[in-house]
Amino acid sequence: MGNKPISGALGKPIKRRDILKGAGLIGMAGVFPAILTRSAFAADKPTVVNSIRSLSNPYHATWNKGGAAFAKSVGADYVTLVTEGNSEKGIADIKAILAKTGGNAVINVDPNDSPDARAIVEAAKAAGAYVVTQWNKPADLHPWDFDPNYVAHISFSGVPYGKAMAETLIKKMGGKGGIVALGGIESNVPAIERKKGLMEALAANPDVKLLDYQVANWSATEALDKTNAWLTQFGDQITGIWAANDDMALAAVEALRADGRAGKVPVTGVDGIQLAVEAIQKGELAGTVAWDPYWQGGMGLAIGYAAKTGVFDPAEEPKDHREFYGKGVIITEENADTYYAENIAAEPKMDWNDIWGRVSGQIQYD
Amino acid sequence: MTLDASISSQAAKPAPRRRWRIASWAPLIVLVLLCGLITLINPNFLTFGNMVRISQAAMIPLVLGLGATFIILMGSIDLSVEGGLTLSAVILSMLVLNGANSNTFGLFGVLIVLLVGAGVGFANGVIHVRLKIPSFMVTLGMWFVGVGAANALLGGMAIRINDPMIRGLAIERFLGFPWGVWLALFCLLVALVIQNYTRLGRYIYALGGGEDLAALSGIPVGRVRILTFTLAGVFYAVGGVLAAAQLGLGNAQIGNGRLFTTVTAVVVGGTALSGGQGSVLQTLVGVLIVVVLSNGMVLMGVPPSVQIGVQGLMIIAAVALSIDRKRMRIVK
Repeated sequence: MGNKPISGALGKPIKRRDILKGAGLIGMAGVFPAILTRSAFAADKPTVVNSIRSLSNPYHATWNKGGAAFAKSVGADYVTLVTEGNSEKGIADIKAILAKTGGNAVINVDPNDSPDARAIVEAAKAAGAYVVTQWNKPADLHPWDFDPNYVAHISFSGVPYGKAMAETLIKKMGGKGGIVALGGIESNVPAIERKKGLMEALAANPDVKLLDYQVANWSATEALDKTNAWLTQFGDQITGIWAANDDMALAAVEALRADGRAGKVPVTGVDGIQLAVEAIQKGELAGTVAWDPYWQGGMGLAIGYAAKTGVFDPAEEPKDHREFYGKGVIITEENADTYYAENIAAEPKMDWNDIWGRVSGQIQYD
Repeated sequence: MTLDASISSQAAKPAPRRRWRIASWAPLIVLVLLCGLITLINPNFLTFGNMVRISQAAMIPLVLGLGATFIILMGSIDLSVEGGLTLSAVILSMLVLNGANSNTFGLFGVLIVLLVGAGVGFANGVIHVRLKIPSFMVTLGMWFVGVGAANALLGGMAIRINDPMIRGLAIERFLGFPWGVWLALFCLLVALVIQNYTRLGRYIYALGGGEDLAALSGIPVGRVRILTFTLAGVFYAVGGVLAAAQLGLGNAQIGNGRLFTTVTAVVVGGTALSGGQGSVLQTLVGVLIVVVLSNGMVLMGVPPSVQIGVQGLMIIAAVALSIDRKRMRIVK
């Protein structure tokens, strides 16, 4: 099994391993021009980039579809960066794309954690790229301090929607009874806000008692186990279940189903994922809120793209266009069929030029 | 000569006969005490309804734990639990009657899924043995490969399962317990038979007790390892089927957090991570401790922010009670 030497040009024997190495080099050299020409072709139009947590959840997968749809509508190169929950990776990938495009890029980012936003915005400013952030940023980081590159920050207030879902639930329960609530990760801002909304609704409805509030960390598996334990502890006292997201709400429905009570005890979620809308159509879920990640993924880019291509000057926009709450869509049995037909069965139709269409007030920090 | 010496030194030691040690019963005692404590605080704990719910919560960790027990008995570790489970659940959701495509393979689909699980385990075993890569790294990689493949299949979406047979595992009941629980008990029986009455079972203990000795006495070490990883893969696939049945859907996040519960249950049950000591029945006790504890904390009204800390303390306490310090010389 010895290596069979082949004589090289210099008379030195070439081993099989060397041939492999050479082949590898030639292969890589072949790929390199492909990268160059690809970026050279698109050099006139900014590259549009979405940076999100992962592609393994329906929410961000839909976000990505919206981004791809916008990129197609303007004929720009589209890149998706995935942080996989790792802030370092998220920031490093964005810096790499800024270097590659020479700053000719528009970035729409859902920062993995609030502090990341500052690093990302500073890198974009230094490179001359335009950036829109969503959900997470430090309260003292403002777009108007980084004119014109930091175009806008978009978020959704959890309080009114957490409250709206609690009210939907209470209405379905006939204004009285006992509810149990499944919360998200305790330190997450949306979890805190949605819980606050729930508490406001409960304060306004003294006939409804909160039997227990448990943290199920946004996870279906944990929600299923917690709901099972509640069914033992409270039994028929439970007449409604409020969940801070759809995954947990659907798990609660399954726990009820195993108990023979699916559809009899109303459950609400938040996020508006497809299975939740279908469950509303079947009468097993009482309501959810759709953030419309398709809009977030596309419109975040559209706003940045409009600024980058000179459609508007960010510095001249009012503050409520720079840091604003978007609009969620409340879905109940009344509009579930229409919502399904327009947004899930068909590719959603968006007017990417209507960039301020869903502004619903400037973000308040307290 | 050296061989003789090692054999005689083995013979000189007192044979590790089954001693009546309190430590080996510690997990069971912990379980009983735990049940007693929870019942004192909330008598609802002992109702039949709650027993059914505990069994429902225990069925998936039990099946996963059975697979992992064999691997840990052998002195290896398997981190691919979530990978195998997720891939199985996702493939199952695509093969049986579902909300996304027109497949209706039914029981045949389940068989395919078990084969997929076996394939994942077999790949683990072959890479581990033939390429001599530590099981920790191989299975860590396979974890991500499995979840990644599931991700690629679904593109981040979830598929609802409508097959009445699969859903029936979680919903339909026999003697008051869901069919999934009976399936898990059947798996326990199979694992017990493999452990106690087959050559594979005895070889697994031999490998965990001392692999060089096992090899010297003619046990086909490589083949046993590959076979054991394959077997574990099948158990994870069963876990995937049960998880998909319970949530009524398949998605790439269905396995999140399962590895931790599985390894915890095996170790809390008293199976040593160093291999050679433990059994699948101990894993049953370990699974029950973990499940009863999390059920009980909700029943006892332990604040959510404290629960995870209590779980951690419980793990340390259970392991501290059950390890046999006399036979340990080095702790790593």
